[in-house]
Amino acid sequence: MTIAIILVVLAAVSLAVILRVSVKALEVSATGSPWKIQPLDIEAFRNLTDPAEEAYLRKRLPVGDYRRVRRERLRATSAYVQVAGRNAGVLIQLGQMALVSSNASTAEPARQLVDQALLLRRNCAFALIRIHVALVLPFRGESVVPVLRGYEQVNGSAQLLTRLQNPVAPLRISS
Amino acid sequence: MLQAHSFLWHYLWVAPNVLLLVLAACMWKRGLARELPAFFAFITVDAFAQLGMYVADVSPVVGPETWWHLAWVSLIIDGVLKAFLIAEIYDRNFRSYDALAKLGRILIRAVGVTLIMASAVLAAVGPQDGRFGIIAGEHSLEQGIYLVESGLLLAVLVLAALFKLRPPRPVFGIAVGLAISACVHLASWAVMASGGLPNSKRAPLVFLNMATYHACVLIWFYFVLVPVKVKSNSGPPMPPIHNLEVWNREVGRLLHP
Repeated sequence: MTIAIILVVLAAVSLAVILRVSVKALEVSATGSPWKIQPLDIEAFRNLTDPAEEAYLRKRLPVGDYRRVRRERLRATSAYVQVAGRNAGVLIQLGQMALVSSNASTAEPARQLVDQALLLRRNCAFALIRIHVALVLPFRGESVVPVLRGYEQVNGSAQLLTRLQNPVAPLRISS
Repeated sequence: MLQAHSFLWHYLWVAPNVLLLVLAACMWKRGLARELPAFFAFITVDAFAQLGMYVADVSPVVGPETWWHLAWVSLIIDGVLKAFLIAEIYDRNFRSYDALAKLGRILIRAVGVTLIMASAVLAAVGPQDGRFGIIAGEHSLEQGIYLVESGLLLAVLVLAALFKLRPPRPVFGIAVGLAISACVHLASWAVMASGGLPNSKRAPLVFLNMATYHACVLIWFYFVLVPVKVKSNSGPPMPPIHNLEVWNREVGRLLHP
């Protein structure tokens, strides 16, 4: 009977997760996506993940201080990666909406945007895992280069798509 | 009312399968059968198999042993068709995205293999329904199929949600309906297969399974046949201007550091 109870609990938890995921997906399709692109300071992000700066700190600081500073830098990096991941999620939704609209001129850029944003979101997830491992083992290296590179690529695709969908919008906002 | 051969019992066994045949006919007429071949095959074959099982159950000609042999055959066909259906759901969710194809395949295979092994172990070492082997085996197989089915569907839905992917509306509805049905069936078959309940107290679980399946058939009807309302201004909505300003500023900083 213990196995049956475990299976019943697992089934109930799975059902709750499935219902939550479904309701959320239906809400998004009914009300539209909440467009919340959060600002991301790329320069600070670059500095935080610069290997030269990391090497400099390691060379200059005593071991104890270096560990403390590195943990703080890792926490900050984690916050940046989370924002990049969330922004990628918004761009995936933007790209999918453009795909659904079946406009031939925007289909290919939209597909590219979705693919790059998916790649960025995936890399963010892996980078977060590596950062959390590095938080436990501070001398272990972590690489967020794919996140930075992905963020740059996805920026280009998003710009191209928004320009194709609404040629006026980029001019208005750049003024 | 919650007794075998009551009116509700007859209705819950027959109605969902008749509805499935109606759904299959509508899909065929609208050309959806070609778009979702595994789902079309699943609802058609499953409906005929279940109606056949119903006729065998009420017919005095068919003995209990023959009925349980038929149940085994029907269950195996059902399991194979569900495997194709889940593959179709996965494919329609992730096929077109190169970035996720490899990761998704690895994850789904890992989940699938783990669940199949878990259900095999459960069937081997778990408590058995203390009745005839043919019945106990069928119950264990039901439990195993629903364990694998619910786990795989959960993995597909959670993966799509994590990556903010929106599958096509019919595929989403099919996946949600099948997943809800699988979870409820898993819970009730886990209780029944363990032999934890006496025969007299099993009827509510059987009715729960039948009612859930009926609800899922209605979910499939809604998502497969009712079209999406398209807003008058075609084309995706743009983000609000203040968000684009933020976006533009960030891109500017990137291009001109």
